[in-house]
Amino acid sequence: MAAPELVQTDPEGIEGIRMTWNNWPRTKVEASKCVIPIAASIQPIRPHVDLHVLPYIPLRCKSCSSVLNPFCRVDFTALLWICPFCFQRNHFPQHYNSISQTNLPAELYPNFSSIEYAIPNYPQNPQNYNSVPVVPPTPIYLFVIDTCVIEEELDFAKSALKRAIGMLPDNAMVGFISYGTQVQLHELGFLEMSKVYVFRGSKELSKDQVLEQLGLSSTGGRRAGTGVQKPGGQLSPTAGSVNTGINRFLLPASECEYTLNSLLDELGTDQWPVAPGNRALRCTGVALSVAAGLLGASTVGTGARIIALVGGPCTEGPGAIGSKDLSDPVRSHKDLDKDAAPFFKKSVHFYEELGKQLVSQGHVLDVFASALDQVGIAEMKVAIERTGGLVVLAESFGHSVFKDSFKHIFEDGEQSLGLSFNGTLEINCSKEIKIQGILGPCTSLEKKGPAVANTAIGQGNTTAWKMCGLDRNTCLTVFFDVSSSEKSDPSGTNPQLYIQFLTSYQSSDGQTRLRVTTVTRRWVDSAVGTEDLVQGFDQEAAAVVMARLVSYKMEMEEAFDATRWLDRNLIRLCSKFGDYRKDDPTSFTLNPSFSLFPQFMFNLRRSQFVQVFNNSPDETAYFRILLNREIISNATVMIQPSLISYSFNSLPAPALLDVSSIAADRILLLDSYFSVVIFHGMTIAQWRNMGYQNQPEHQAFAHLLQAPHDDAQLIVRDRFPVPRLVVCDQHGSQARFLLAKLNPSATYSNVHEMAAGSDVIFTDDVSLQVFIDHLQRLAVQAS
Amino acid sequence: LDPETLPRPLAGDVEPNSLAAMYPMNCSSRYIRLTTCGIPNSQSLASRWHLPLGAVVCPLAEAPDGEEVPIVNFATTGIIRCRRCRTYVNPYVTFTDSGRKWRCNICSLLNDVPGEYFAHLDASGRRVDLDERPELTKGSVELIAPAEYMVRPPMPPLYFFLIDVSISAIKSGMLEVVAQTIKSCLDKLPGFPRTQIGFITYDSTIHFYNMKSSLMQPQMMVISDLDDIFVPLPDDLLVNLSESRNVVDAFLDSFPSMFQDNMNVESAFGPALKAAFMVMGQLGGKLLIFQNTLPSLGAGRLRLRDDARIYGTDREHTLRIPEDPFYKQMAADFTKYQVAVNVYVFSDKYTDIASLGTLAKYTGGQVYYYPSFQSAIHKDKLRHELTRDLTRETAWESVMRIRCGKGVRFTSYHGNFMLRSTDLLALPAVDCDKAYATQLSLEETLLTMQTVYFQVALLYTSSSGERRIRVHTAAAPVVTNLGEMYRLADTGAIVSLFSRLAIEKTLSHKLEEARNAIQLRIVKALREYRNLYAVQHRLAGRMIYPESLKFLPLYGLALCKSTALRGGYADALLDDRCAAGYTMMALPVKKLLKLLYPHLVRIDDYLIKTSQIDEFGIVSKRLRLTAESLDTRGLYIYDDGFRFIIWFGRSLSPDISRNLLGEDFAANFSKVNLSVQDNEMSRKLMRILEKFRATDPSYYQFCHLTSPAECIIYREYVWLV
Ligand SMILES: [Zn+2]
Ligand SMILES: [Zn+2]
Repeated sequence: MAAPELVQTDPEGIEGIRMTWNNWPRTKVEASKCVIPIAASIQPIRPHVDLHVLPYIPLRCKSCSSVLNPFCRVDFTALLWICPFCFQRNHFPQHYNSISQTNLPAELYPNFSSIEYAIPNYPQNPQNYNSVPVVPPTPIYLFVIDTCVIEEELDFAKSALKRAIGMLPDNAMVGFISYGTQVQLHELGFLEMSKVYVFRGSKELSKDQVLEQLGLSSTGGRRAGTGVQKPGGQLSPTAGSVNTGINRFLLPASECEYTLNSLLDELGTDQWPVAPGNRALRCTGVALSVAAGLLGASTVGTGARIIALVGGPCTEGPGAIGSKDLSDPVRSHKDLDKDAAPFFKKSVHFYEELGKQLVSQGHVLDVFASALDQVGIAEMKVAIERTGGLVVLAESFGHSVFKDSFKHIFEDGEQSLGLSFNGTLEINCSKEIKIQGILGPCTSLEKKGPAVANTAIGQGNTTAWKMCGLDRNTCLTVFFDVSSSEKSDPSGTNPQLYIQFLTSYQSSDGQTRLRVTTVTRRWVDSAVGTEDLVQGFDQEAAAVVMARLVSYKMEMEEAFDATRWLDRNLIRLCSKFGDYRKDDPTSFTLNPSFSLFPQFMFNLRRSQFVQVFNNSPDETAYFRILLNREIISNATVMIQPSLISYSFNSLPAPALLDVSSIAADRILLLDSYFSVVIFHGMTIAQWRNMGYQNQPEHQAFAHLLQAPHDDAQLIVRDRFPVPRLVVCDQHGSQARFLLAKLNPSATYSNVHEMAAGSDVIFTDDVSLQVFIDHLQRLAVQAS
Repeated sequence: LDPETLPRPLAGDVEPNSLAAMYPMNCSSRYIRLTTCGIPNSQSLASRWHLPLGAVVCPLAEAPDGEEVPIVNFATTGIIRCRRCRTYVNPYVTFTDSGRKWRCNICSLLNDVPGEYFAHLDASGRRVDLDERPELTKGSVELIAPAEYMVRPPMPPLYFFLIDVSISAIKSGMLEVVAQTIKSCLDKLPGFPRTQIGFITYDSTIHFYNMKSSLMQPQMMVISDLDDIFVPLPDDLLVNLSESRNVVDAFLDSFPSMFQDNMNVESAFGPALKAAFMVMGQLGGKLLIFQNTLPSLGAGRLRLRDDARIYGTDREHTLRIPEDPFYKQMAADFTKYQVAVNVYVFSDKYTDIASLGTLAKYTGGQVYYYPSFQSAIHKDKLRHELTRDLTRETAWESVMRIRCGKGVRFTSYHGNFMLRSTDLLALPAVDCDKAYATQLSLEETLLTMQTVYFQVALLYTSSSGERRIRVHTAAAPVVTNLGEMYRLADTGAIVSLFSRLAIEKTLSHKLEEARNAIQLRIVKALREYRNLYAVQHRLAGRMIYPESLKFLPLYGLALCKSTALRGGYADALLDDRCAAGYTMMALPVKKLLKLLYPHLVRIDDYLIKTSQIDEFGIVSKRLRLTAESLDTRGLYIYDDGFRFIIWFGRSLSPDISRNLLGEDFAANFSKVNLSVQDNEMSRKLMRILEKFRATDPSYYQFCHLTSPAECIIYREYVWLV
């Protein structure tokens, strides 16, 4: 069994795309025989050193409006280009007159398959180069903070907020909502005294009602703002109507930092009494409705995110996930399974509607949940994911998982997440290709076209998707189908297929960008042989796509048996692509392109994505949101953690994800994405406890101790959300974080065969070896 | 009937003192005044008395120094009351059986004297400890009530302000005066250090204020859902004044300027009222409402309904009662939860005081009306009256009951209160400016006793947090003939009761019917008297009246000409009429009589004379309110207790006008705001006005200036009989 490779060198490349199959079967029938669906994991605005930014508007095909790209055939003398998608001949405009074979515009460079256009922000007519660029709308950060928490938690949250506000760009517009039993929207532009609009927590509010109550209603001018501020007060130059507009509530960070800080100083925990034996009345749903409603009054096209800090379950009003009574626990997977979660469907429906509203406004919902209890991520998931929001689940606002993650989103420069707004993804593809849909943080724009497949997966029935929020790491999985027509390209002359991904978005500094990524892949006739297919198989991508698909099916299909489905598909895959003699399991071998895949499936079966009963619905939702939005390499780690071993005698090396990797004189570094575990073998722990590392003659030991910490820091620093870092010793209570992820090759059922110093996992799970044995036996039988 | 022959009450209200002579242990007449002290001994006699039979009670009337009501603490003895009729022990009970028993003067029951209250009787049957027992010698005492008189711990004095901040409130300058006045009164509010305070402002939305003592400045909390008002905080909307003083000060300093650019024209008055109820309902207290416009949003919104065409029809009275049951219902809720509502109304347009005033009427409150309020002109009046409202001694969460001896019975009550049971008046707050009237009837055909006793008991919480019972006891003789009844009649009490009955009648009848009813009763009474005495006086063809009632016809006429009752549509604005009605329903006798027959004095001579003369001399020289009293060369002050009208005669020396008004004296008088000029004449005038004002601080007389040229004003203000 091969250990996973330590580093894969930039498998996504400048394109930011990984496909399950890099050579595509030509027909629908052949595609279905491949078992693993044809899918591409794309990272739409992946940063890359070679990425060029062009300061002009791209040329588009006049027929299919795809963008000029290196795969176009260009006739330099006639100044024509032929669209690879629809074969339309397009004339170059005048300002391209000087191009030639040796003087190519950047968008035609063969190695610039991804290129970005910075679209100047012109008012109305983009063709009018003489008009003055308008100031781009600056993004809005609307903070929503839960005050139904203990004072200590509130203090943590407050200091996190203060730090965040200090880090925001000066011109970022900031708003503030606090809530508990009721919702308080703070009118930051009111200078005479602290002023809030209060909303009942138990009452569902439509967007119009929110606007009406805030005096922001566009229809009735009946309600002027009350207690309006004096003319000459501080307002942003981009402000609309001074006295009654949304700018009463949203101010540039530089102007409201003082107000916000003093407001936070005075902000206390929710004052409404909580009856003994009850949960606090917490109206998260209404708070988010108010936030979304307020943002509804912002100028169309303004990027905005609601950043909610939630400290417990919603128990009041719409979106409630559980009862007030503490003796009723918040719903578990078991309850959901048995349909014994009376609040669930209603709450999910509420968040679906909220998500729709936010998407139509182009705004993002981020949720930072910090609580020992569940807060309702399972219900909110739909709104978070559809808007491309961020989510972090932590135990406390004081925990580094929250603190460092929260800080991370406001960081700029190298560390910046590159939070962007108002993204739209459009896909053009060769006409044999159909698009089934996307799993990941986006919403279908329902843009119909010939490329839309009959069956939908995830956000389907469209060739365009909205991504209200996206960042450098945002990743989507596109599911493709090939048209069933056997002879769609009768000439058979074109062995290449083309797909173009067009991502327009507003960068965090307000610029409008268009990323154009055009890729080509080869058609193969798999009826002739599987060789080409095998070579083009990306088993990591395939494992992640299967994980995403199985999670999706578990959510969508009632009584779906995930393990069985995974097993059946794996067996079918091995039957099709394995080398073996029929009915002889010992003869079974897999090509290296497939060899890791069974182990991925083994670990996927045991992972939090399939074994949901070990987690709360909130955790499951959280894991799945991140599984769907992370790049392949990170998602792979979620499925199959990486394990590195540190010892005196060798360099740090990948270790088998197996209990047998534990040794008394080793340190193990486990990265399971959500947590990073440093595990000291017994002997190492003893030496450390005796302080050897502090003695000059044991410098090597000090280095050995330090090395995994340094590596862990590298992982922690680059990751969002920041993983939980666990440092533990063999046989310590925290060791379970490691043991849960290891292959139980040594369980109590075979404990007698164990070598000294190793460890045993108390489990009935089958070991990888047993699993592979079964697989081989079944694969060679099937036909 | 020759009006010239009518006597004029130039000495104002003269309290009858015949009873005090007969029953020296009676409480002072400032607390109880009977319409006649001669209680008729039979129903047939009573039926010939066409005037109202009853009493006017002012339980907290201000007593001059030295006549304060003594406080009695029975402590462990417990309060001594009749076992049967619950009468409080009083000077008219009698001790028998060597002091071991006492007989109730109201129901005659023989009660045991508790051991601790026992005292021996002297030879004349008087208790030997009588000198140490004010309750046995004084008609008025105040008893400290023990715990059984409480349904909850005594409430703290509580002032809650509900303030309109719509554009009209800001433009009128009301906001600023109110804020300044409240601030200036904070040190004088009764009940330190327990006093509580809170504020709500409103326009199209409701604004609560978090005044938590730990805050640097208050927090404004806006609620816009008018159909579903709720409280935005469990605490701190109502705070202890001394603890949150800094926050309250900060609020009062900033709130007028905070709204100065508010353009909101709406008034969500009803929802704001509900909000105030939610905040203060737990404790009760005083709710002061400052309303500057017609309520336009939410529950209780009102409409312009002053319609000339309705006058004279069967629906005329509906203009004078609330259209929306919301107001009466809210008032009932307020009373139930011990909230007294005072309504200050400022608008220059119709504001439906008929509806707004209902809140005061049923909660023991008061209506203050400042039509077309402009702070530059009217601020002194508002400041004075609000200050008095905030600083006068107030009895909280009170109930009042009037008991009387067997054979007579109180049948109706008239004033601002709500009846909790047939004879228990719920008065969330009471003060010295409130009087209540009641009517009596005979229960039996014939009374056999010599004397009828009355006892007023007001159970209340003092601002200091004590539960107390103020007890006023009075005795009155039973008489057997009408002449005695007339002799012992009290015009002030009669007019007071008459005006309340008439105003109440306007709520269900036309104005004309209300006026006619009064006139008819006066005529009947005088005819009865005439029949009684015509023979012996042989004065047929001339009007005769008993000495005690000599001013009654004039007051009756005055009452019919009062703002509340006079004329028809054009003779008084509906809001003026309703405001006057609410005010008159609560006025003590003296104030009412002055309002009906104002003082008129000529002052030009005094102003010209350089020598100092006694200013009281001026005051005492009251003139008849007739055309003849007005000399065109003269300068007059007309004072009805609520306003001064300063009348500049046509031929008045321009020097005087210039001295008093400055160089622009020729301008339209109604636009001139009288202020002190730098000359002795002006200062003298101001001194006189101050002196007049000092005689009764319950209201502030605002100065109207008028000249004969402005004859409309002239005719309206100075009616000439
Ligand atoms: Zn094309
Ligand atoms: Zn009795």
